[in-house]
Amino acid sequence: MEGRADYVVKRTLFALLTVFVAVTINFLLFRALPGDAVSGLRCQHCTIQFKAALRHDLGLDKSKWEQYKIYLKQLAHGNLGLSDVSHEPVRGLLWDPLKNTLLMLTLGTVFSIIFGLLTGVVAAWRRGTWVDKGSLWTSLAFYSMPTQWLGLMIVYFVADRIGLPHGGIQSPDLGILGNPSTYDYWKDRLEHMILPALTLGLVLYGEYTLIVRSAMLETLGEDYVLTARAKGLSNFAIVRKHGLRNAMLPIVTLIALSLGFIVGGAITVEYVFDYPGIGLAIVDAIDKRDYTFLQGAFLLLTISVILFNFLADLLYFKLDPRVTT
Amino acid sequence: MSARRMLAAAALAAVLLAAGCGGSSGSSGGGSVKQGGVFTIGTTNYIDTLNPFNYIEAEAVTAYLEVYPELVQLAPNLTSYEGSYATKWTHSADFKTYTYTLHSGAKWSDGKPLTSADVAWTANTIVKYQNDATAVLASSVAHVTTVDAPNPTTVVFHYDAPVDPNLVLSNISSLYILPEHIWGSHAGNQGKDLKAFRPENSLPLVSGGPFQITKYEKKGTTVFKPNPGWWGPKPHVEAVGLVYYTNSDSMIADLKSGQISAVDQVPYTAVNALKQSGGLAVTPYKYGEFTNITWNSNPRKPQNRELLDPRVKKAMSMCVDRQQIISVIYDGQATLANQSVIGPFGINWQSPDDQKLQFNCDQANAMLDQLGYKKGANGIRVAPATTGKYAQPAHPMQYQIMVPNSLDFNGSREFSIVADGWSKLGIKVTQQAGGDSAQAYAIETDDNCDAAKSTGYAKFDIALWDWFSYTDPDFQLSVATKGQWCSWSDTGYDNPSYDQMYKQSGTLAGAQRLTLVQKMDKLLSDQWIYTFLVNEKAISAAQPNWAGYHPELNGYNYGYMTEPYQK
Repeated sequence: MEGRADYVVKRTLFALLTVFVAVTINFLLFRALPGDAVSGLRCQHCTIQFKAALRHDLGLDKSKWEQYKIYLKQLAHGNLGLSDVSHEPVRGLLWDPLKNTLLMLTLGTVFSIIFGLLTGVVAAWRRGTWVDKGSLWTSLAFYSMPTQWLGLMIVYFVADRIGLPHGGIQSPDLGILGNPSTYDYWKDRLEHMILPALTLGLVLYGEYTLIVRSAMLETLGEDYVLTARAKGLSNFAIVRKHGLRNAMLPIVTLIALSLGFIVGGAITVEYVFDYPGIGLAIVDAIDKRDYTFLQGAFLLLTISVILFNFLADLLYFKLDPRVTT
Repeated sequence: MSARRMLAAAALAAVLLAAGCGGSSGSSGGGSVKQGGVFTIGTTNYIDTLNPFNYIEAEAVTAYLEVYPELVQLAPNLTSYEGSYATKWTHSADFKTYTYTLHSGAKWSDGKPLTSADVAWTANTIVKYQNDATAVLASSVAHVTTVDAPNPTTVVFHYDAPVDPNLVLSNISSLYILPEHIWGSHAGNQGKDLKAFRPENSLPLVSGGPFQITKYEKKGTTVFKPNPGWWGPKPHVEAVGLVYYTNSDSMIADLKSGQISAVDQVPYTAVNALKQSGGLAVTPYKYGEFTNITWNSNPRKPQNRELLDPRVKKAMSMCVDRQQIISVIYDGQATLANQSVIGPFGINWQSPDDQKLQFNCDQANAMLDQLGYKKGANGIRVAPATTGKYAQPAHPMQYQIMVPNSLDFNGSREFSIVADGWSKLGIKVTQQAGGDSAQAYAIETDDNCDAAKSTGYAKFDIALWDWFSYTDPDFQLSVATKGQWCSWSDTGYDNPSYDQMYKQSGTLAGAQRLTLVQKMDKLLSDQWIYTFLVNEKAISAAQPNWAGYHPELNGYNYGYMTEPYQK
């Protein structure tokens, strides 16, 4: 018990330290890019007076050290600051794209977890058969495809044939002449979510299948599985109780990592499908040198990765008591 | 979208406005006008805010023109101005007072009267805070001291110097008149509250233009519905949807599948595919964007100073095959540019003596030979050693050309054509990745750019980019001044005589101004701080059941949305 508490404390401290380091790196990283939110402005009405006033408002006329101190002070109060571009609170600006991304990527990830686990387990159990070979090659093919390429193929060759939208998050004419019903709204949203989610899900599915198959093959070769067979347990019971459960450690790690990165979005998928998620918002913010938004977005990404890794660490207790030693 | 493209979109709107859209006439090339329907326009630019004190994106202007009245707007010929809220205007003999007569009986969409008091309040508020909270609109009231409203249909603008009528109208066309009864209570805190106000939070927006905005999504669809209280020509449609796309591929796919009615600007790479798909009306139209070679013209540049010699730049420019650029990159949808910084929309202001660039590599080689740039053993010319403050050793004429990746044409392909031409002159160039527009400007100006200390513009030689032109030459002429160093200047040109002329041009009117403007244009042309390559045409596409769509009016004239109708 003491060992476990020590483990949790160490992991917590390490997570906090990682967040602090990430916050600092996030601050420095974007300022290494040439230009800032003001120098990048190329509108005719962006006169020298306008730029000077804006630079002052945004605090860009202060030293980097001053800006860093202000950033940390705001962060300590839970304030992510105002966007350098829209001058709105970053917390609010993050919410809409985050919501869009979470919905789409959750759909894709759930799809990939279910199918990845299923095909990985079946392939391992039927090792060497055509089922295994078919599953192996299919998953390898999807895993090796660049996500953006697969997305483009789906846009060009699949979308029209199955009558789903090429991109965006809602139909251009939805809600123009009046508010749509809740059913119409969500139906439209779902239709726009399916293809990007499927693209992401197919690539992740390939990865999950390979990892699950590999982990399952390892456990299915163990003596205790042979013993279970000898005892006359059913195939299902052997796979569920003795195979899958013992193979869960690498699988949980992989899923936790995936869930962590979910918040970062799938930038390429969002770009191909013109899907307004957090990934596209980050690309836009980089283009406009919106430091404050980028700091907020990357902080969110950092925390989500660390959080899910932390949760995975804690889950190891349940799955493998040897972790504490 | 890049800032250059934003400029382009804004200029496009101005130019196209004049190009025969008929403004608000309601006439539309033959056929009966069917009222109603929803016209959806796809765009890769977005409306960043409905608050004109905060906007950056050019697409915001598209919205403002439809909901906020302007005194004047660019006419469909794209070269002159026509009345909008103002029915007529006059100026004093000394060009320091301009008087506008306004429509009588105009109302805001909430029923409150729209009068000269709203104009005066808007203009005076901008003047009052022009160095801070309202700086974004300061150019619309440049040189204005006060604005009076002697009666509800008359407004008088007083200027601190004589200002040319064309410049006044050009500036005033960007004065978006706001309802004082809504905005007046947000002018506190030294005007800073104006920027904090979010009119998009209470829709429908109180409008004085042909449309009301009933739905606003920054990165989605913004809906414009006719304003029933509008005093001008009624829109034909039931609603207009402005649909934002992050990438043009999705936009074109939606156009082809009939989900949107029209697209302002079809990427050049997609034009042929759209034509072949049939059914869509794919139409080129006059556009203000013109492309150029930018030469680092900072007189203090430390390296490759032979590129400061206009004769060298002229010779190199003569061996760029601009016809090949037009056919390869633009599929013929461009024309040869004049060597004028003013650009195609300001053609009436261009110097008649501007350099006419001929493609002639033999003559260019002869010019370089005559200037003493001999070819070395490897076929690369050598710039001789020089002495003096900026002495440099003899060195081969090989340079980097910076190419931004945010161009709306294929910059790498253009680089190849330029490099091919110059290789025939014994000049070797390599491509330097410019990154996005912010990064590219940072490369041109340097991190240590400081106009007061004359530092910056020391690390690049040549760039490929583009400009957008306007009906008034003031802005384009300003970019070559020292005052625009570290801001709009991309050449580092520094000529006190030119700066003096520019300053003087702001206080001249009529023929005097024209003469001086042409002199300045000729000076820049002779200095070859730019080599202008082509004037782009833009390509629009629309569904065949729609007519009256004039994309050239976008950002210049409310006819952009009032004119379209169903066949």
